[in-house]
Amino acid sequence: MGRLRVFSERMKGLFAQSRANREFEDELEEHLQLLTDRFVSQGLSPREAASAARRQFGNGALLQQRQREARTFLFLSSLWRDVCFGARMLRKHRGSTVAVVLALALGIGMNACIFTFVNALLLRPLAGFKAPGEMREVWEHSRNANGIHSFMPLTYPDYVFFRDHARSFSGILGYDGDPEGIIWNRSGHGEVLHGQLVSGNAFSVAGVGVAIGRSFTPADDQPNNPQPLVILRNNFWKQKLGGDPGILGKAMMLNGTNYTIIGVAQPGFTGFQVAMAPDFWTTLSMEEQLIHDPGRLTSRNTNWLLTEGRLAAGQSTKSAQAEISLLAREIELAHPDTNKAMDDVLYSFAPVPGPFRGYVTAFTGMLMVVFALVLVIACANAASLLMVKASGRAREMAVRSALGAGRGRLIRQMTVETLLLALIAGCAAVLLSYWTSHLLLNLIPTSLPISIELPLDWRVLVFTFLVALITGVVFGVTPALRGTRVDPAGVIKTEAHSGGYRKSRLRTVIMIGEIAVCALLLFSATLCVRSLLNAGSIDPGFDTQNIAVATLDAGSLGYSDAKIETFYRELDRHIRALPGVVSSSYVNHLPLDASREQTSVIDESLVATLPHGIPVDVFRVEPGYFKTMGISIVGGRDFVQSELDRKSKVIVVNTAMAARLWPGQNPIGKLVKVGDAKEQSEVIGVVKAGNYRSLGEDPIPVLFRVEMPSLRVLVVHTSKDPGALLDAVQRQVQIVDPNMAATQVQTIGSFMSLPMFAARTTGLLLGASGILALVLTWIGLFGVISFAVSERTREIGVRMALGAGRGDVMRLIMRQGLYVTSVGLVIGIGAALASARLLSALLYGIRPDDPATVVIVSAGMAAVAVLACHIPARRAVRVNPVVALRYE
Amino acid sequence: MTPEKQDEQIDLLQGTLDLLILKAVSLGPLHGYGVLLRIQQLSREELVIQQGSLYPALYRLEHQGAIGSEWGESENNRRAKYYKLTRFGRERLAGETQKWNRMAGIIGDILRATPEEA
Repeated sequence: MGRLRVFSERMKGLFAQSRANREFEDELEEHLQLLTDRFVSQGLSPREAASAARRQFGNGALLQQRQREARTFLFLSSLWRDVCFGARMLRKHRGSTVAVVLALALGIGMNACIFTFVNALLLRPLAGFKAPGEMREVWEHSRNANGIHSFMPLTYPDYVFFRDHARSFSGILGYDGDPEGIIWNRSGHGEVLHGQLVSGNAFSVAGVGVAIGRSFTPADDQPNNPQPLVILRNNFWKQKLGGDPGILGKAMMLNGTNYTIIGVAQPGFTGFQVAMAPDFWTTLSMEEQLIHDPGRLTSRNTNWLLTEGRLAAGQSTKSAQAEISLLAREIELAHPDTNKAMDDVLYSFAPVPGPFRGYVTAFTGMLMVVFALVLVIACANAASLLMVKASGRAREMAVRSALGAGRGRLIRQMTVETLLLALIAGCAAVLLSYWTSHLLLNLIPTSLPISIELPLDWRVLVFTFLVALITGVVFGVTPALRGTRVDPAGVIKTEAHSGGYRKSRLRTVIMIGEIAVCALLLFSATLCVRSLLNAGSIDPGFDTQNIAVATLDAGSLGYSDAKIETFYRELDRHIRALPGVVSSSYVNHLPLDASREQTSVIDESLVATLPHGIPVDVFRVEPGYFKTMGISIVGGRDFVQSELDRKSKVIVVNTAMAARLWPGQNPIGKLVKVGDAKEQSEVIGVVKAGNYRSLGEDPIPVLFRVEMPSLRVLVVHTSKDPGALLDAVQRQVQIVDPNMAATQVQTIGSFMSLPMFAARTTGLLLGASGILALVLTWIGLFGVISFAVSERTREIGVRMALGAGRGDVMRLIMRQGLYVTSVGLVIGIGAALASARLLSALLYGIRPDDPATVVIVSAGMAAVAVLACHIPARRAVRVNPVVALRYE
Repeated sequence: MTPEKQDEQIDLLQGTLDLLILKAVSLGPLHGYGVLLRIQQLSREELVIQQGSLYPALYRLEHQGAIGSEWGESENNRRAKYYKLTRFGRERLAGETQKWNRMAGIIGDILRATPEEA
C-alpha cells in the first residue's frame, strides 16, 4: 500500500515541477532564516550569524537536488526536457528538418501503401463473419496437375458429401464463385445486377445476421423443392430500393422468375469473397432457374462451388485436414471415373482464396522489397545529413560533457531528436500512404466488378509507426555514436572550425552505398518498364482500337431457342444501321478473357502418329467475326449465314492448329472429328494465330465453329471512336427488347486493360520507385558535395593563391563526386546483373543483362552526378582566395 | 552543539529517524526547523539531526502519507511549511513505538545475561 502511494506521488510529481522547486527553495530559505535568527539571539552580529547559519546548514543545492530526485522519476522528467530541446533544435534548422522528414515520409509512406493492400487482401478478415479465425477453405486438388491450375472448386455432390459427413466441422457452406450478371426486370425495364448462389446454411455458418427479415435455412435449399427467395445486400437495399422496410415479402423478377425478398443482410457485409459485392444472394438449388445451366446440382464434372467450413470445437487444422483427406479418398473410390486423383486441401480463411495467396504474396513481397530499398536510400541521406549536423555541434557536446553529462546521456539526447524526426515522418507517411493507396485503387479498370475497401486499419498504423521507429534507430545510431565521441578539452581549446577537411570515410562509404542501391533499383525498374512497353505493343492478333463490345444473354430470360435467335438477328440489324459501324458479329467469349473452352480434335488419317489427336481451344463465332475483329484470313473463307442456320459441320482453324496437324500441307478440305461428335467436320478456312489465353504466349491451336450458345459477346467495328458508340449500343438493345440489358459494354481498349492491369500497375510502381530513388540520391549527393566544398574553402583558397586556375578547382571538386558515383555504379550494376536471373521470369522480350539498359542507367546516373556536383563546384570556383585564407 | 557533542552523535538508522520525526510532529504541527529543535529538546540536547538527513526523511514520510503539509506563517511572520501527523501517521507511530519498545526489551534482556545464565 505504501509502495503504491509512493509510486503515484512520484507520478504526480512529474507535473508542476517548477512550482514544487520554488516551494522547497522557500522552505529551505525559511529554515536558514530561522537558524540565522537563532544565532543573532545568541549574540552574533547579523552577518556572522548568517554565515554561521549557512555553515551549519550545509549544502543547500545538494539538498535541493536530492529532493528533486526523491520527488519524481528523474529519468522521465529529463527525457521530457530532451524532447522539448529536440523539438526546438528541429524548428531552428527548419531546412534540413523538412528535407529529412520529406525523404523519410516518402520512403515509409510508399511501404505503408503497399502494406495497405497486403492488409486488405491477405490479413484483414472479411467483414461480418463471426470468429473468422475458425473458418477454413476447402479446395479440390488434382494430384495429376501442377501449380495453381491444380486447385479447383468443388462439385455439388462432393460438397454435399463433405457437408453431411465431416464431423470436424460444425458446418460447411458453399457458394458459386462467379457472381453472375442477372437481369432484373424492374417494371418492364431491364437492369443488370450481380447475384450469388449460396448454400442454405451459408449465413448461419458464417455467423452473418440480417438487418430486417430472416436469412436462409437449409430447408430453403432443397434441390428437389427449390424456393425462389433472395436476401439483399444492405447497401443495395439502401441505394436502389430506398431502404424501405416494407419490401419484405415483395417480389423481384430476376432472369424471368419471380423471387420473394425474405431479408436484408446486416450493414457492412459484402459477401463471402474478397472484393466482390453481389447485390443479392439466393440458394444453390435455384441455380437452374437463375443461370440456366441445368445439371450443375448433379454433375460430378462441373467444379463450381467455393466452400468454407467452421471448425468444430476442439478441432485443429490438422485433424480436420486428416478427416477431409479420408473423405476425399472415399469419394475417389466410389467414383473413380470422375474423381480420380482428387485430394481435398484445407486453407486458412483469408480474403484472397488459398491457392492464389502465393502469387499475391510474391507480387506484393517484391513491391515491398523495392520500396524498402528506396527507404534505405532515404535513410542513408538522413544519416549523412545528421552526421554533418552533428559535427557542427561538437562544441555543444563538449560543453555538456564538461558539465557532467555522461556519454549515454549525450547519446540519449541525439537519439531523442532523431526519433522525433522519425515520428513526424511517420505521421506524414500515414497521410501519404492513405492518399496514394486510394489513388492506386482508381487504376483498377471499371470493367472488373471489384470493390476493395481501404479504411485506416490499426494494422497499417502499427506497421507505419514500427517502420518509422526502426528507421529512426537505424539512421540515428551512427550520427549519435560519432557525434558524442568528444574530447571536451580539445574542442573548447580550438577556436577554429576544424584545422583541415577531415575526409569522413564513413560518409563516403554511405554515399557509395546509396548510389549502388539506386543503380540497382534503376536497373531493375528500367528492365521491367521496358519489358512492359514491349508487352504493351504485342499484337494480340486482333484490332485493339476500333472495336466496341457488349455481353448479352438472351437465354437468361428463359426464351426459347427460336426467340433467342430472333433477338440476336434483330439486334445485329439495328447495330449495323448505326452511323460509323463498319461490321458487327458475335462470339461466345472474347480472346484473352478468363473463359476457356477446350476439346480435342482427331484426324482419322493421322491416327498412327496422333492417336488421341491434339487439344485445341474452341471459339464459337458467327459469320463476319474475323472481319469485324481484324483477324486476317490466310486461306479458304469465312463462314456463311446458311452454314450458321443449318448448323453445318464446318470449322475454321488457325495457323497454329494447321501447323500441328498438317505441317506444310493445305488444311482446306481436311476432315476432323471434334470432341465427342459422331460426324466429321470440314476445314473451310484458316486464320492467322494470335493470342488467346495471355499476351505473349506461344501460339495455341484454335478452332472456330458456328454453334452459338445463348450467351454471346457482340463485337462492333466502327470507323469512329468506339467510346462514342457505347450508349448507342445499350439503347439499341433496349429498343429491340426492353427486357434485355447488355453487360460489360466497353471499348476493346478498356477490355484490354484487364489483361494488362497487373503489368501496368507494376510498371507504374517500379517507375515511380526508380524516379524516387534517383531524386533522393541526387539530393544526397548534392548535400555531401556541398558540405565538402564548404569544409574545404580554406584549402581551395590556398590552392588558388598558389596558382590553381578555375578549371583545376572545378576538376578537384567534380573528381570527388564522380569517384563516388563510378564506384557506386560499378557495385550497383554488378549486383543487378548478378541478380538478373531472378527477374528473367517476369521479363518479356528483353534479356536480364540487356546492354542497352546498362548504358541507359549508367548515363542517367552520371548525368545526375554531374548535375549534383556542378553547382557546388561553381561555388567553389567563385571563392575569393584572400577571403578564404582568412576564413576560420 | 559543540564539536565534541557532534562527534558523539549516536548514529541513527533511517527508520528510527522517521519514528522520531513522527513523534515530534505528533505533539503539534511544526515546520522543518521546528522538528529539529523539538527533537533536540526532547532528547535533552543529546541528539542533533543534520538538515541533510531531515529533509529527505520529511519528504519520504509525506510521500508515504504519514504526515501532511500546509503553508502557514512562521514565528517571524514569514511563509513556512508546517507538517502535521495524519491519521495513518498516528497509527504508524503507535505501531512503531510498540515494536521499538518490544525490541528494546528483548535486546536489553540479552545484554543483561550474566555468565551463569548462559
